[in-house]
Amino acid sequence: MEDNQNAAPGNVVPNKLGGGARKGGDQQATKRLQTELMQLMTSAAPGISAFPSADGNLLSWRATIAGPDDTPYAGLTFKLSFEFPSNYPYAPPTVLYMTPIYHPNVDFSGRICLDILKDKWTAAYNVQTVLLSLQSLLGEPNNASPLNGEAAELWDKDPALFKIKVMDRHKDLEED
Amino acid sequence: MSTAVASRWQNRRRQVFQSVFQTDVSQPTPQSTPCVAAPDPGHAFGGPLAPTTTTTTTTTTNPATPFAGPIFSQAATQHLSALPLPAQPRFPSLATAGDDQVTYDRAWHVVTARIALPSSATADDSFGTLPSDSQLRPPSQQATISDRDFYDALALVVHAPTLLPRATHTDDIVAWHAQQVRTHFAQHVIPLLSGCVDGEDGEPGGEASHHDKGIGARRDGGKRKGNHYERHMVMVMSSIRTLEAAFRLYFYGLGLLVRGFGRLVDGSCAEKPSADAEALAARFQRDIHALVGNSASEGLMGSVSTVLARLAGTILGIPEGENGGTGSKPTPPRPAAPTDKDLRAMAARQRLHEVVEQLHNVGLAGERFQVIFAEIMNSMMSRFVTGAYADLWNLSSPGPDGVSAAANTISRGPGSSFLSPCIMSLSDWVENHFARLSFEILSRVQPDASSSPVALSDVKTYQSLALGRLAALRISELFDIALAWPSSRGAVEDLRATITTTARRLQLTASFSRALQRRLLHPGRSTLEILRTYIAIIRTLHALDPSKVLLSHIEPSLQLYLCQREDAIRVVVTGLLSSAEEIKAARKAKEDAKRQQQGKQREAGPLVTPAMPSRTTRTPRTLRTRHNNTPVTPVTGDTRTTSAAPTSTAPTNTQPSSKLVELALLLNDPSQTRRTAPEDEGDLDWDDMNWVPDPVDAGANYKRPKSEDVIGTLISALGSEDVFIKEFASVVAGRLLGEPAKFEQELRVLDLLKRRFGEAALQNCDVMIRDVQDSRRLDAAILRARAPEVETPIRTPQAKKGSDDKDEMQYHARILSRLFWPNLDKEHFLLPKEITEYQQWYERGYERLKSKRKLAWLNQLGQARVDLELEDRTVTVECSTVEATVIYAFQDANEPGPVRRSVEELYLALQMDEDLIADALVFWAGKGVLKRLSQGVYVVVESTSSGADAAAGTPGGQGGPLASSGVLSLGDGDGEAVASARKPAGAGLSAKEQERRVMYWQYITGMLTNASTSMALAQVAMMMKMLVPDGFPWSNEELQDFLGEKVADGQLEVVGSKYKLVKK
Repeated sequence: MEDNQNAAPGNVVPNKLGGGARKGGDQQATKRLQTELMQLMTSAAPGISAFPSADGNLLSWRATIAGPDDTPYAGLTFKLSFEFPSNYPYAPPTVLYMTPIYHPNVDFSGRICLDILKDKWTAAYNVQTVLLSLQSLLGEPNNASPLNGEAAELWDKDPALFKIKVMDRHKDLEED
Repeated sequence: MSTAVASRWQNRRRQVFQSVFQTDVSQPTPQSTPCVAAPDPGHAFGGPLAPTTTTTTTTTTNPATPFAGPIFSQAATQHLSALPLPAQPRFPSLATAGDDQVTYDRAWHVVTARIALPSSATADDSFGTLPSDSQLRPPSQQATISDRDFYDALALVVHAPTLLPRATHTDDIVAWHAQQVRTHFAQHVIPLLSGCVDGEDGEPGGEASHHDKGIGARRDGGKRKGNHYERHMVMVMSSIRTLEAAFRLYFYGLGLLVRGFGRLVDGSCAEKPSADAEALAARFQRDIHALVGNSASEGLMGSVSTVLARLAGTILGIPEGENGGTGSKPTPPRPAAPTDKDLRAMAARQRLHEVVEQLHNVGLAGERFQVIFAEIMNSMMSRFVTGAYADLWNLSSPGPDGVSAAANTISRGPGSSFLSPCIMSLSDWVENHFARLSFEILSRVQPDASSSPVALSDVKTYQSLALGRLAALRISELFDIALAWPSSRGAVEDLRATITTTARRLQLTASFSRALQRRLLHPGRSTLEILRTYIAIIRTLHALDPSKVLLSHIEPSLQLYLCQREDAIRVVVTGLLSSAEEIKAARKAKEDAKRQQQGKQREAGPLVTPAMPSRTTRTPRTLRTRHNNTPVTPVTGDTRTTSAAPTSTAPTNTQPSSKLVELALLLNDPSQTRRTAPEDEGDLDWDDMNWVPDPVDAGANYKRPKSEDVIGTLISALGSEDVFIKEFASVVAGRLLGEPAKFEQELRVLDLLKRRFGEAALQNCDVMIRDVQDSRRLDAAILRARAPEVETPIRTPQAKKGSDDKDEMQYHARILSRLFWPNLDKEHFLLPKEITEYQQWYERGYERLKSKRKLAWLNQLGQARVDLELEDRTVTVECSTVEATVIYAFQDANEPGPVRRSVEELYLALQMDEDLIADALVFWAGKGVLKRLSQGVYVVVESTSSGADAAAGTPGGQGGPLASSGVLSLGDGDGEAVASARKPAGAGLSAKEQERRVMYWQYITGMLTNASTSMALAQVAMMMKMLVPDGFPWSNEELQDFLGEKVADGQLEVVGSKYKLVKK
């Protein structure tokens, strides 16, 4: 009895707090994303771009990365999708390659293994830094923890075959 | 069915017609008048059916006369209801009639003969002049009938039913008389009356329109001819005389009858009480009055109206305005309540009483008269208010002309201690003149003395009516009042006291907004004027309504308009930053104007134009209040007059300066800088005896502002504080970069603004000023550090002999902290090599002092002193770095003849924007250093004498020795600073716009790269609106144009009405 009485308010409070935080966070995230977009637009980095998706939802973005010149991905462009949680930037966005890519750290459904998108995420990162990291990841894959073991092996052993596999796998997305 | 309805309707119409016109009783005299009596008096009543009578006119009893009106219907029906149609044979000798009928007829004849009115045959002549008493006597032949016979006969006639029961044909004698009178009036009096009006007027048919009034010759010694008032007066009087005569005639007959009734009462055979006889007489009189009142012609009533208006005007002290022509003076004097000793007013009053009395006696003072009187009084009130108080805003206690000091001490209601002089004198006028006149006239017109015609509550109503008109007048003048502030303080007081209802407040704001739109908010007014007026409006309306609700109703249109004026904020800021000299000058101008004003009294020159020059200074009265420390005028919130600074009086310049110096004055005024924030907490000031509730039209979360706070209001009107501070920062930036010397003014203004906006808001400006101060020290430090490593002094390539020291270039820089300064665009161009070297060296020095920092040069924002050594002269010019760079490019040692450069050459050499090059060339041409040869080609004017040749298009005319002697030495090049303010505003704006377009293009490319590869226009617009911070200002059409340009550039393509990026 006593436990229940004591426990009951304690159960409610976190819920309430959580609800309030979600609601506030939603607006905060939108505002933050708008600012980030503004930054992206005013100081564009070469080879990357990002924009909210056409349905007008600011929590869902599409991004484009151009393959760096001195990598197997040179001349290719890759589409990515960003899904931001409502408590962004306190949690990382979910980033997926939409364009099929042959890469040691990307699996065949487009999921990426990148520490800053997982446990190393901080609120100081933003869309631009994530994109720049992904762009550099194209040239310097982390072969220690591959999602695609074959690619990790080929990267070092047979760059020519790697390049063929990359070109094989790459397919420009049709317009949705 | 329709026929049934129609017949029923016809029937009813006939009934109504008969009830009104009594066609079936139209023959008051029985046709069976005995023939024995017929011979001599027969004409008096002989109808058309009595052909035997000698002088009968067919019209006398004609029932179809227009005045057989309803007025007698009551009497007729009452007395004659049972009467059969007079269809009897004329000779009563028939056995059916019997003796009684004969007796009755004889008696009837005796009575009617006695009271008969003069027939038309004689009356026509006799009415040509006023009837004399003798004529009012009954005709001589009737005198033979003795009184006794008459009364006996009367008794018979009246009591026919009892005395002569067998007389089947009887009639009512009173009704007969009334009918006689009616007919007579219609036949004779009305033509005479119209004769009076027409004849006297001299312009037949035009009398109704003559409402214009002249000044009576009686008053002004016959200076004027043909004045209308006199003519109308004569018309009215002659009409009255005519009617009086007719009345005497009518009442003679009635008097006889009444006397007869009286005798009957006295006698034993009294059946009618005498009160009945009196009632009969009263009814007869009422009927006659109604007859007269209803039949009076328009012309006559017009004359009455003219006469009344004229007399009332004199009594109420309203001079003739329109065309009365008070010849001697160009403008009519202001209306003023006459004093008790005013003989003219007394005479007029006397006269008016007489006239009204007489009008009442002859029945002309009926409803129509009262309507006319009401109209006159109404217009009198309006004329008095507009005449006496228009443009008169500073009524001091003695009043304008005639309002005596005594008049101001009249009874005032409790709590009205703040009433303005205008209101007091107006209330006094209403109470002592207007209401008095109304009372006098109405008590004469309404005979029943039981109730006073003008009650005390009526007087209050009149007063509130008059105040309402005063309010309307002031409302219509409000714009001028605002312009003339503060000399129009009195008028504002009037308004404050009279604007009591929400409707009036609404009227005020509506009318004022209209005036604003018409007179201020159009392209013809400069922003400066608008702002200046705005300041005046703020102060006026604050005095009027300290709650600022009125102001907030008016402001939106002003604010909206000011937002369209791009320079508004800049004008305000520069006004705030006015230098001490400008303030002094403005002050001086004001003092001068004041002195002028004191010399000649305020002329009531109405401010016809909204232009500023008509603004007047404050009056001496308010000036005096400056010395004692309590406000004399009970204007709430306005404590300006008590401020310590003696110059804090309202900014009024007779010669408005080009800056809004007023703001600087206000800013220095301690009472203005106070922020209201701390006062908001204390909700009520319990000691405030002038507290009034918040106005009803205040908004829901309305906060009462405490002070007038012109600057605060102005700034909030121009947008947010942020916008203002931003603009302030950019203006300050310009000034800091511009003048090298001192920033006392800026610092002072900054301090004052800090008190208003708080420290944090103006932090940037603080940093800017510190930057400039610091860079002075830094500059010195760097220059000192340079001393040991001096290589070769930087000189111009061709150092002139003997002037080595001078030629050494001095270079100073101001180092700005980028984050705290407003965005300063970087303009790219190549500096002269020497300068670039110097800059590099300077950078090194700086980086030594402050490691890890880099300098970015803003080359276009500098100033330079340039010494130009030309063939025959040396020119020293202070100019911008751009101009210096351009002229430096003309220095060429190897070119023979005066150096020529084209814009293209300069562009290639300097990589400078062509517009800047062109501007600089024009600048130098203006200094006489360059000459324009042809389109875009300039040449150095080496000597002024050869300038003519150069101008004449003969370059190269100079000899070889003169060639290449142009030596330019860049001296004292001073840092990077020319305010962006020097650039025309348009250029700055387009740069901003350009920036914006670049950014939008980024958005659009980002959108089309990522969101969707092809998008329709509406979709793009929607996304832009959603995503661009601070909103996306373009319309769909603008966006379409923009996208169209990109399509034309080949960056976009349109596929199926959707936009797509062109793949590269």
